[in-house]
Amino acid sequence: MVADDAVLFREGMARILAEIGFEVTGQARDGSALVDLVAADPPDVVITDLRMPPGFANEGIEAASRIRALAPRVGVVLLSQYVEVHHALRLMEDFSGGVGYLLKDRVSDLGAFAADVRRVATGDVVIDPELVARLVRRRRERDPLDALSERERDVLALMARGLSNAALADELFVSAKTIEGYVRSIFTKLDLAPGEREHRRVLAVLQFLRRE
Amino acid sequence: MSFMPEPPRRERAAPPSLGHEAAVAGIAVAVAALVAWGWALGFHLGNAHNGLIAASWTAVGLYVVRMRPRHREGWLFVTIGAAHAVMFFGRQYGLHDGPLPAASWLGWIGVWPLPVVIAVVGWSLMAFPDGILPSTAWRPVVWSMFAIATAMAAVSALWPVDYLRVGIGAPYPLHLAGRGTAESLWGAAQACYFLFQLVWTVALVIRIRRARGDEVRQLRWLVAAVLLDIGVLVTGLVLFGSPEPGLLALPVIPLACGAAILKRRLYDIDPVINRALVVGVMFALVTAGYAAIVLGVGSMVPAPTTALSLLATAVVAVAFEPLRREAQRLADRLVYGHRPTPYEALAQMAAEAELGPDDILDRAAATMARTVGATEVVLWSGPERQLEVVGAWPRRPAPAETVSLSDLADRGLHLRLVSHQGTMHGVISLRKPAGEVLTATEGKVLTDLVSQTGLVVVQLQQASDLRAAARRIVTAEDAARRRIERDLHDGAQHRLVTLGLELGAVSEHARAIGDPDLAERVADARAQLLQATAELRELARGLHPSVLVDAGLAVALATLADRSSVPVRLDVDLAERPAAEIEATAYFVVSEALTNAARHAQAKVVTVSISLTTTGSLDVRVSDDGIGCARVERVGGLQGLSDRLAALGARLEVTSKPGSGTTIRAVLPCG
Repeated sequence: MVADDAVLFREGMARILAEIGFEVTGQARDGSALVDLVAADPPDVVITDLRMPPGFANEGIEAASRIRALAPRVGVVLLSQYVEVHHALRLMEDFSGGVGYLLKDRVSDLGAFAADVRRVATGDVVIDPELVARLVRRRRERDPLDALSERERDVLALMARGLSNAALADELFVSAKTIEGYVRSIFTKLDLAPGEREHRRVLAVLQFLRRE
Repeated sequence: MSFMPEPPRRERAAPPSLGHEAAVAGIAVAVAALVAWGWALGFHLGNAHNGLIAASWTAVGLYVVRMRPRHREGWLFVTIGAAHAVMFFGRQYGLHDGPLPAASWLGWIGVWPLPVVIAVVGWSLMAFPDGILPSTAWRPVVWSMFAIATAMAAVSALWPVDYLRVGIGAPYPLHLAGRGTAESLWGAAQACYFLFQLVWTVALVIRIRRARGDEVRQLRWLVAAVLLDIGVLVTGLVLFGSPEPGLLALPVIPLACGAAILKRRLYDIDPVINRALVVGVMFALVTAGYAAIVLGVGSMVPAPTTALSLLATAVVAVAFEPLRREAQRLADRLVYGHRPTPYEALAQMAAEAELGPDDILDRAAATMARTVGATEVVLWSGPERQLEVVGAWPRRPAPAETVSLSDLADRGLHLRLVSHQGTMHGVISLRKPAGEVLTATEGKVLTDLVSQTGLVVVQLQQASDLRAAARRIVTAEDAARRRIERDLHDGAQHRLVTLGLELGAVSEHARAIGDPDLAERVADARAQLLQATAELRELARGLHPSVLVDAGLAVALATLADRSSVPVRLDVDLAERPAAEIEATAYFVVSEALTNAARHAQAKVVTVSISLTTTGSLDVRVSDDGIGCARVERVGGLQGLSDRLAALGARLEVTSKPGSGTTIRAVLPCG
């Protein structure tokens, strides 16, 4: 199910999603229309714009909250022209998984976008790599990231994007055991308490990365 | 020497101690008992004034020391009152018709202390109003006065030198030799009473000449009361050949003194004296003129008295108004002292305008008040129905509500309109002391002052209009930036993203149909497109970040910190959101300062602190620990913000020292 106030983009995406094997069950032009559609026929996942009528502010997040209350199993992918850390943190705090937050540009890489949508549909967390890269790039006064090896930093960035251990292993072409070792080492070095669920882990890592 | 009246003020006294209260109560009861018992013994006209003096001086003195426990003048009054109570009672006892036990001794006590009591009265007059002599040089004078008075009292105590005058019926208790010598001595010594009067009159005149502000008014109360009593005395002597009316009227002096010491209605004295002077002078002039014509002309020219009376009436009628004006001028000069001449007032006004715009209108109001002798001058600005205070004398916080011109007219004020090119811009209202009118000269100089002040009012109004206009321009610019950002977001950005989506699809398709070359070229085009959208995104964000409107300054600054390549410490302390244009300006200042710190300062950390000052301005401070030596001109982006800052009445300070970093501070008035 797709929601966006820009007709051209919405229809284009619906068509292309259909071409790459998704079934688009409905289209909406704003948040409340999307909530109504979900209430009538809950899909596996909704893809919605963040800024929509009437206020062009955070209508996408408001709609996502109502959808989560209405149909907890529906995954929500939020698309936006800008990705901001405070939105990501709010999503991680308010939603226990099954949520994605991506730059709109990401949709043009069809393969990666399709994979992200499927992961959200299965309850995973997806955070835009640009946002994570921005935080990892930041210099800090006494940078705790200096304590990490280059490989560990890559793992940290991928964790911040919501990748599970299994997904990390696939991405980095190593065994799940190796990944577990990296993750343990990172959490020890950074003095972080790993959450049981992925969104907790993403939240902890994002909050950590945001520190001065 | 120009004279500036001070508004009356009340002083607060510390609560008196229990012992003090007991002493006050004890004296009050004792004096009341003596006086009441004295009255109960009968009525003797020659002694009645002593009872009144005892009651009035004691009452006023005790009231003063109760309000100001350490007030010396108050205690002097109490002493005078108590001594008179004792003397009054003694005389009443001695004057009693039937014989009373110990009447000769009590009568004796009622007579001989008089010289010393008169010396105390002299001292209290010389020390008025604070109980302290005008200078230490007066101490020997007071000592001498007391020495003479004591000697006189001793003579009066030992020989019945003053008995005849008082007329005590009870026999004199002592019988010493040398009565004849004592009586001749006494006759000479009585001249000392005139000496005493001369001394305290001189002291009082010197004190009046030196006095400033409130003390002038306090002394005027005393002088007015003394003159009034002298008037009654003279009238009594002329009409009844008796000093008793004047003696019985003496209590007006302590009452006036008490009011003056405690500064009750201190300034009401001026119009009273002013009026009294005018009436007195006119009465004297008219009487003299009438007498001169009827008697003087009548003795030289034989004419019927009726005709002369008619002539005198005509002359008086014609001359009355010019004479009254002169008398009024004389009275004004005596009461209010020197007032600036029109030329002085205008010169002063011009000099004050040079001093700068801060409270210029308050100062203009003060000049006007001084020039025309007004007790209150208020400058109002605005249209007829919405006048607000922009300056006042005496100074006071401007009330929030506005008034209309007709309200002001109803308050019995003198009003002058402030107009410029035919448009009314405000009003100047004056209050004169009760019963005083605005003279023609005052009116003329006031007109000149009003036209000058009017220009200032108009200018300040225009400046304020300009500031408002500048603010509106900033607001409009922000709105325009937001609109462009929205348009980009809803238009170009969407189209480009949609185009990227299509290119992605085409690339997939090319790969699927086995044309890797085409797929490659399309992927290239898509990468370039993504670059373009990224640039457009940053451009749109820089125009006006939507997060600023949606989530406020703190969150917007956090997103700046997230993007900054230099570590940023944020310290935002805002209880409420400032106006949109203030938020936006603060955001742009921080954004530019961060860019500058990242590019030129070689800073390790930048601290951004935002807080509201006590005056309600937004204080934006960005400090780095870099190499320093930045200047406003070199902080390029900030230079670009200077117009915006100026339009909002903001200040921008850049402090930078080599090696100790740069601090950029902007204070944005939120009002």
